[in-house]
This record gives sequence, C-alpha cells and structure tokens, in this order.
Amino acid sequence: MRKLAIMIFSTAFLLGLVACGGSNNEETSGSDVIELTLWNDWTEDRPENNAYKSMVEKFNEENEDIEVIIEAIPHDQYETKLRTQAAGKQLPDMFRVWPGARIQPLVEGDALLPLNDIIDNWKDTIPEGIMKDYAVDGNQYAIPGNISETSLIFYNKEMIAQAGFDTFPESYKDLKGLIQALNEKDITPISLGNKAIWPLQSVYISTIADRFTGSDFLPQALNGEGTFENEQFVQSLSIIQELTEIKAFNEDMNTLDEAQARNNFISGNAAMHFAGSWAIGPILESAENIENIGVAPFPSFEGGEGDPAKIAGVAGGGIALNSDLSEEEREAAFKFLKFFYSEEMYQQLLEANIIVPADLEMGDEIPQVFQEANKLAQGGLAPVYDATLTPELTDLINNGLQSITLGEMTPEELAKEMQAENEGK
Amino acid sequence: MHATRNKTIAITVGILPALIIYLIFAILPILQSFYYSLMEWDGFSAMQYVGLDNFKALFQDPLFWNSLKNNIYVVLASVLGQVPIALFIALLLNRKIKGLKLFRTIGFLPVVLSTVVISITWSLIYNSENGLINELLRTIGLDFLAQNWLGDSKWSMIAVLVTVIWQFVGLYLIIFLAALQNVPEEVLEAARIDGASEWKTTWSITIPMIWDTIIVAVILCISGSLKTFDLIYVMTNGGPAHSTDVMALYMFNETFNQLQYGYGSAVSVIIFFFSLILIYTVTKLLGKKMI
Repeated sequence: MRKLAIMIFSTAFLLGLVACGGSNNEETSGSDVIELTLWNDWTEDRPENNAYKSMVEKFNEENEDIEVIIEAIPHDQYETKLRTQAAGKQLPDMFRVWPGARIQPLVEGDALLPLNDIIDNWKDTIPEGIMKDYAVDGNQYAIPGNISETSLIFYNKEMIAQAGFDTFPESYKDLKGLIQALNEKDITPISLGNKAIWPLQSVYISTIADRFTGSDFLPQALNGEGTFENEQFVQSLSIIQELTEIKAFNEDMNTLDEAQARNNFISGNAAMHFAGSWAIGPILESAENIENIGVAPFPSFEGGEGDPAKIAGVAGGGIALNSDLSEEEREAAFKFLKFFYSEEMYQQLLEANIIVPADLEMGDEIPQVFQEANKLAQGGLAPVYDATLTPELTDLINNGLQSITLGEMTPEELAKEMQAENEGK
Repeated sequence: MHATRNKTIAITVGILPALIIYLIFAILPILQSFYYSLMEWDGFSAMQYVGLDNFKALFQDPLFWNSLKNNIYVVLASVLGQVPIALFIALLLNRKIKGLKLFRTIGFLPVVLSTVVISITWSLIYNSENGLINELLRTIGLDFLAQNWLGDSKWSMIAVLVTVIWQFVGLYLIIFLAALQNVPEEVLEAARIDGASEWKTTWSITIPMIWDTIIVAVILCISGSLKTFDLIYVMTNGGPAHSTDVMALYMFNETFNQLQYGYGSAVSVIIFFFSLILIYTVTKLLGKKMI
C-alpha cells in the first residue's frame, strides 16, 4: 500500500512539474522589469544589423525597468516562423514586419496593435508618402526604418571594360550586347542565386515589369480592372526567358541562394549581380576594391510604357506590436519605438549605407556606390511584386519564373495561370 | 488475487503520465487536423466550415499529384535501395573480420550527422560548376556526363534520392547486424554439416530467421519516407519548379507560405491515410511470405 502511495505522489509531482513548466513561460519573472521580446532577422553580421542591435542595447541600458530581448531568426525562415506562431496565437511582443500584402493577413487577424496614438512623433522627420507603406485602412502598424530598393545592378568596372564597355549600358539592347561580349570572354555575365525562388521575382520582375507596364498596372490587375495576360506584362516575363537563353546567368543559379551568388560576384567570378539595397553593405564591406564596383539602374526597354527613371522599392525595417500587450507593456513598447526610430538611428543607418526614410544630410565620407543608389530612389518608387501580390500569387510567379528558366513553362502560360488564380479569389 | 489487482493499478498509475502527454501532443493534434481539414482558415481570422471542399480542391491540384508521385519515388528508393544495400553490407560484416567496429562506425556515421549538414554537403558535391562529381567527370574527360544535378528538373529527383539512400543505409545496417548476431550459431553449424553452401545458408537459414526484422525495417522505411521533409527542404526546397516536391513539403508550403491552414490540414489527413493503407498492405504482403 505504501508503494502505491509513493507512486501516486510522484505522479502528481510529475504532473505538477509539467503544469509549472507551462505557466512559467507566460508570466514575467517576479521583479518589476517589463520584458519585451523582439523578433527580427538580424542574424547576418551587417552594419545595419549591428546598428539596430546597438540601439536596443542602449535602450536597455537607459531604461532599467524595461528589458528588450532580441530573438534573431534567419531571413529566409523568418516570415514562415512568424505566420506559424501567429496561427498558434503565440506571437512575441514585438516583431519585425514588412509592409503591404505581407502585413495584411496579420492586420485582418487582429494580431497587430495600431500605432495611431504615437504617430505624430515622426510628423516632421518621415514624409507621409513613405509612412503610408505601413498603414492599412488608415491605421498605422509600424514605423519605417529604411527604404529597400529591390532592383539595383552592381557591376565590376574592370570586367565590363574588358568586354569593351566604358560605361554601363542604359538600354536593354546594349545590355544584351554586354552579356554577349562577356560570354565571349568566358566571364559569367550575371551572378544569380534563385534557389529560394524570390530573387527573379522581387529583384528582376518588380522593375522590369514596371518598365513595361507602368506602375498602375499591378493594383489594377489585382482588383480586376486589368489582367495579368496584359501583353506588356507577358513581355516582361519573356525578358527572363531571353536572359536565360543568351546565357546571362551562371549555370548553377537554381541551386545557389542569394548570399552565395552575391559572394561569387564579390570574389570576381561574375561581372554583374542584380540585387536590392540590402546588398550594398555586404558588397562594400567585402569587396577588395570599392572603386572597382559600380551601381546602375535597370536599363530601359524599347516599347515599354513605364517610367524608366523608377526603381522598385518599399519601406522596410518596421516593428509591429502584438495586439495582446497589457497596458503597461504597451507604454513600454511605445517608449521603445520612439527611442528606436530616432534621428540617431537613421544617422547610424546612413553610415551603414542603408537608405532611410528621414531626410538627413550626407557627408563626403559616404561611398560613391551608396550615394548613387540613394539618388535612384529620387526617380520614384515602383511597387515591389512580393510586397503587393497575395501569398498565393507570389508563390505562383516565383515558381513560374523558375520554370521559365528551365524551359518548362512559357511566359504566356505563367501569365494565364496568374490571371486564373487572381480571378479565383 | 489481491496482488494482481494491485499490480494492475500500479501499472495504470505508472503509465498515466506518459499516456496523458502522448495523448495531448500526439493524438490530439491528429484529431485536430481532421477538424481543421473541413475548414477554410488562414490562421488568423475566424474559421469557416466548408465540408469536403479542401479535399476536392486537393484532388484537382496537379501539384499535389506531382508531390505524391515524387513521394512514391522516395518510398521506392528507400525500400528497394536502403534495405537491400544495408542487408548486403550487414551480411558481409557479419563474420569475423578485422576492423568490424570501424566499418560499423563508418556505416552508421551518416545517421548521426545532422540532416542539414548532409544536405549542404551533398549540395556542394552536386554543384554544377565546381562540385565534386562534375569536377571528377571533367578531370577524367567525361565532360558530357557532367550535369546540373540539382538545378535541372530531369536530374534533381535522382540526385536527391541518392542522398536519401546514403543517409539511412547505416541505420538499417545496424538493425540488421544486431538481428544477425542473434541467429544461433548451432543452426548455421548444422546447415554446414549437412553440406549447405554459403549461398544456400544465407538464403534458407539466415534471411528467414531475421525476416521479422526485415519487415520492421521496411515499415520504418516506408513511414520515414512518407514524412521525408528536412533533407529536401534544405537541399532544393522542392525545386527547381516543383521537381522535388514531396507531400510533406507541399503541405508545409501550402499551409505556411500561402496561409491555408485548413487546406494544409487536408493534405496531412491524406498523408495519414495514405501511410496507413500502404503500411497495412506491405505488412500483409510480407507477412504471408514468412511461412
């Protein structure tokens, strides 16, 4: 009988442990410190990530009663993880979010806290047009930290000179000439890493399609006023097909990820690399000779209806708050946001070669590549495809573009599928 | 009488904590999946009952059939690749040879390695421009055989399957070795005295004696292959152009990248029943041969 008693007791004890284990995570520890967990994708050792992290550290030092805890998740997995946790109602207190279609579902699921009460804080520093990127139905959900241009061409000056080009070609026709000349010299023209399947869409199509269709096309196609079977749009998809056919890309493009392709460009294995402003920092930091790296806008396309001065871009670096925060936590989080999105951080970001929404002076010490890239944003921003399309359409075009490079799908078929998917919704 | 009842209670009490945890974390989610599969749900907003619409859509999606086909390749490669190779090596190693421990360790090594490490290593080996295989082929003048292994949809599935086989041969090798060591020496001795050749002994004595273990290995193999995910996720993420998509990966992408939790649950339910039927059939088939 005693044995039985012991057994029951130990079972109860075990169960108790399990129960305690559950509740410990929920409550903040007994002291008065308010803990706020911040999810982000600052895993890579980049100057801007270091700037973000140092701002958090500084905030923690200055505020003894608030502790912001950083949890970093690699970028390619970040959004998947966020969505998974959101479905389980287990979002952290604060988390990095991207604008447009990518926060829409979070907003619809009431997962985000509107920041309308504190938005006046940035009235004088951030232009409304950029602020708007993080607003849904008139509610502001995050403060933009930077501007991401998604379509820049980085090129190796020496290599294109070898191919007989002193300046970077401005039209697509000349770019094809350059690609051909590079291939004749046995130099890989463009380093592409499309394993994660978004670069061809986000970097390439966002701007190429805008050159052909103009910026009104995308919203109109989505709301049914236009169609993806638009001839200009199909033509922009054909550009990818043509680039593959003229061997513009490295052969292993579908098995490399974006960072690997960038490193191949940096180490001089390819003459060009198409990427967004996120690549400026790493390229400047690891390139042996910065003077040898040039940056250029996408070329113009004959017959295109869009404005060739535009570049695809979107506000980024926003941090959203969990709608479940308690009154106390909410105040602490507001305090953190005001501290974080300050002129001090924007200045640090500029020095880290990040394009920022706030209008700040730029000194001579800022490298040429960055100043050029910064100038390109002045030509106006075109919508970025994966920031505007629904997740289903994004998935479709990502895979479709890869199929086009493999010769398993034609641009017409992809456009047709996209239209069918869009009408199905 | 009193003693046995006491024992039953003790066993019940003892098993209870594990049982409760198992029910909550293994059985309950499966039942929940059944429930979700009848809903339209994006993970945030309120669920909407749609009956069997998810299943209807599922059976009409060519990408699902594509992932099912690829998954069957994985099952076939595992059952017809891993098990025979492992059995063959185990039979070779099951004699008094020098360095048995070393060979065993080498064979088992891939099982201990993290799948991510394996995937990345094999991706490097398969790289079309500077990977080991292509470099080797080019060095010996077989340039025309060099392929874009993972980047070409004709080869990607084959390349992935080779890695899958390589990864788990070691596991079954150890299982078979353990079983072989349990075959009584006397029986083999008797066969030899009767003049049975080595070949005959293996086929008529050794293999029937470890047949149960082989069935277990085949079942492990099938259920493992049906939920295969991590290796392919890291190596190709189902690409290029869905050529290496398997069911678990399809389910994952539909659920989490496209925010269709209901639809994703429907896929899981199909995987569940598919595995159940397949394993049931295989056990029946192999079980009969045993006599």
